[in-house]
Amino acid sequence: MSAAAQGGWFARAGDALERPRVLGTVMLAPAVLYIVAFVAVPFCIAIALSFSDATVGDPTISSFVGLENFRAVMQQEAFMSALRNSIIVTVATVVGIVVLATIAVEILAREFPGRRLVQVLFMLPWAMPVALAAITWLWLLDSQFSPIDWLLVQLGLLGPGTPLGPAKHLYYLGREWLGLGSVVFVDIWRTLPLATIIVLAGRLSIPRERLEQAQIDGAGFFRVLLRIIIPALAPVLIVAILFTALLVIGEMSTVALLTRGGPGHSGQILPYWAYLKGIESGDLAQGAAVSLFLFPVLAAAAIVALRFAARLHRD
Amino acid sequence: MSNYPRESASFPRRCATALLAACLVTGTAWAAGEPPAPDFSKTQYGDMSFPEQFPDGTSISITQWSHFVPRYDQWFKQYAQEWGDAHNVDVTVNFINIADLASTLSASISAGEGATLFEMVAPPTAFIDGLKPLNDVNKAAATEFGERAGTCERSSYLPAKDMWYGFCHGWVPDPGDYRRSLWKDAGYPDGPQTYADLLEGGGKIFQKTGTPVAVGMSPEIDSEFYARALIWSFGGSIQDENGNVTFDSPEVVEAVKFQKQLFENAMTPEVFAWNAASNNQTFIGGSASYIQNSISFYRSAQESSPDVAADTGFRPGLKGPRGDVKMPAHVWFIHTMPEYVTDETKIQAAKKFMLDLEHNYPSASYYSKFYNFPAFTSQVPQLFGDDSWLNDDPWGAEPPDKLGLLKTAEDWTAWLGYPGYANPAVSEVYQSHLISSMMADVARGVKTPEQAVEDTAGEIRAIFEKWRERGYVGGG
Repeated sequence: MSAAAQGGWFARAGDALERPRVLGTVMLAPAVLYIVAFVAVPFCIAIALSFSDATVGDPTISSFVGLENFRAVMQQEAFMSALRNSIIVTVATVVGIVVLATIAVEILAREFPGRRLVQVLFMLPWAMPVALAAITWLWLLDSQFSPIDWLLVQLGLLGPGTPLGPAKHLYYLGREWLGLGSVVFVDIWRTLPLATIIVLAGRLSIPRERLEQAQIDGAGFFRVLLRIIIPALAPVLIVAILFTALLVIGEMSTVALLTRGGPGHSGQILPYWAYLKGIESGDLAQGAAVSLFLFPVLAAAAIVALRFAARLHRD
Repeated sequence: MSNYPRESASFPRRCATALLAACLVTGTAWAAGEPPAPDFSKTQYGDMSFPEQFPDGTSISITQWSHFVPRYDQWFKQYAQEWGDAHNVDVTVNFINIADLASTLSASISAGEGATLFEMVAPPTAFIDGLKPLNDVNKAAATEFGERAGTCERSSYLPAKDMWYGFCHGWVPDPGDYRRSLWKDAGYPDGPQTYADLLEGGGKIFQKTGTPVAVGMSPEIDSEFYARALIWSFGGSIQDENGNVTFDSPEVVEAVKFQKQLFENAMTPEVFAWNAASNNQTFIGGSASYIQNSISFYRSAQESSPDVAADTGFRPGLKGPRGDVKMPAHVWFIHTMPEYVTDETKIQAAKKFMLDLEHNYPSASYYSKFYNFPAFTSQVPQLFGDDSWLNDDPWGAEPPDKLGLLKTAEDWTAWLGYPGYANPAVSEVYQSHLISSMMADVARGVKTPEQAVEDTAGEIRAIFEKWRERGYVGGG
């Protein structure tokens, strides 16, 4: 190809990219390709698997069994427990995140000495490798060597004759609700930085003059927070809630590392049960059915939330 | 000591290298107790013939777990390299976390590519459609090495398909482990002999010292193994020899009732949250009077807590109310070859590797510090005779015959599908932690023993029916 021809080709490409429709398509293409290859295709395969009798030894989707896998998983005690816990853990985490992210944003949006250091420390859980975080939390919540228990004993709150006694250990991961609470706590700890970054961006976009005007007019902290800041943050908060909810409901590492779904199956969650059934137990089809069970609910919730956020943003 | 002559004429360099490597690897081991250098000269196993050298460019890869006894991995890497040098084969060994084995094999089968051999630690029965039959290897091994351990046979052959889906080269005993000083003070100088002793003596120790019996009731493998040992020793089982579900029996209910009593008298809720390392750590930390585990924890304790190691005693399982004693194997070493391996040269090389490993099993047992037991007892006579390694432990056990009871391990060791064969239904019951969860539900007071056994039996039946319809389970 000659230099002139090459120049002509670049010139034509340049002209084409001047058109907004072409430029938009080109800019969007990598993201669309990524989503198709790594989200849409696996998702469609998962749907097909859930209606088949595929196993780990023969993952081909050759015969369909209708809704049999969904019927079978609904008769499993662990599945019903997993369904309940997935909802509890997600809702509790989201509520905790919304409250804590709002508080954190109010602190981080203000000027104070050491603000940068606090910001960095605040983001650490998000940057920390999961394995390191797991070791830390397993130690903190250990049944024998938990430093939290030690502290409670020293404070006279745990042990014989104390409000939390008589045992010297709380066995955080060995009791149903303490175990679930621990999972929620660690999930909040891990996802709070992400939610805070999202909400902080929204908070910083509120014009300072608007807040100052309200203060001049005599509005106190809570009135400013409830009447100005939170309404202005609503679209961003909805996005943060959506991100957090989808992240938590599809995530199994916290439970896998802390309780493995115990005690019994009382702490089981859907993604981990799907993994145990689909991969460890070999029934790929049932694993797919478990993992897809909440998809219609999640899809509907996501659509409603995004529409709501868009409307608020327009208003 | 050995039945396997060293090569000296044809492969002097290799022999010297092996000897040097063995010296480096053994470290503190007694010179007199060392196994012979590996012998790769055999070209005939039963009906199977192999070339001395494979064509240029032949390669195999092996994916296996990072062994609980790190010294074994050091030895194995060296052994695989030597084997490759001797056969003109490029051998790659990938060590992965034990928890990642199933997912890695699953991903490889789905992708249609991956390692030539996978060493699985539990019967990979659900993968059978994606695995090559190894009937020829198993037949050749039986011809060459003689009688196979029952726990290995039942964990690598599926009668419903008449297929050897793996070659089990070894297994691991799972004894009871107790603190000698605590049990002596409680009036049991030789440790608990029966489950009744465990309840009574364990309760006494817990009341007096606060040190609990530490058998898991958590969704993890050690808890699953303990629950099976208890149920089998009480006369119950999940299935019969033909694959029929037998779980809802009075014997199983009796075992579950016992476990509830044991929890109330001698245990703490910590056992509901344990992972596979927890009972080892608790025992080594001095906070357990009795656990059920393989000897890897003891080898760790010898280095990190010599006092606890010295105070550790072993039991060959505990007798149930009718005198039965059954413990599971703790791990099986099962080589499998996925269907996607189609290169004939590669297949032959991999099969030779499997058979040669069994042929050289004295080294495998030795460098695993006797964690690995051979599938074929004949291959490691050093383990079992009067003048055996287990009677005079070269790895520093005190007294030197502390591990001597493991010589009888095969007599009291069962397998996941006991008294039948392992099959995909048995594996699913094991991997979805139904039995340990049932025990936990009863101990926590969520269900009565009768209700828990009935509910669990219902779930087990559904699993068996599903796999039976697909032709993987007999009976019905």
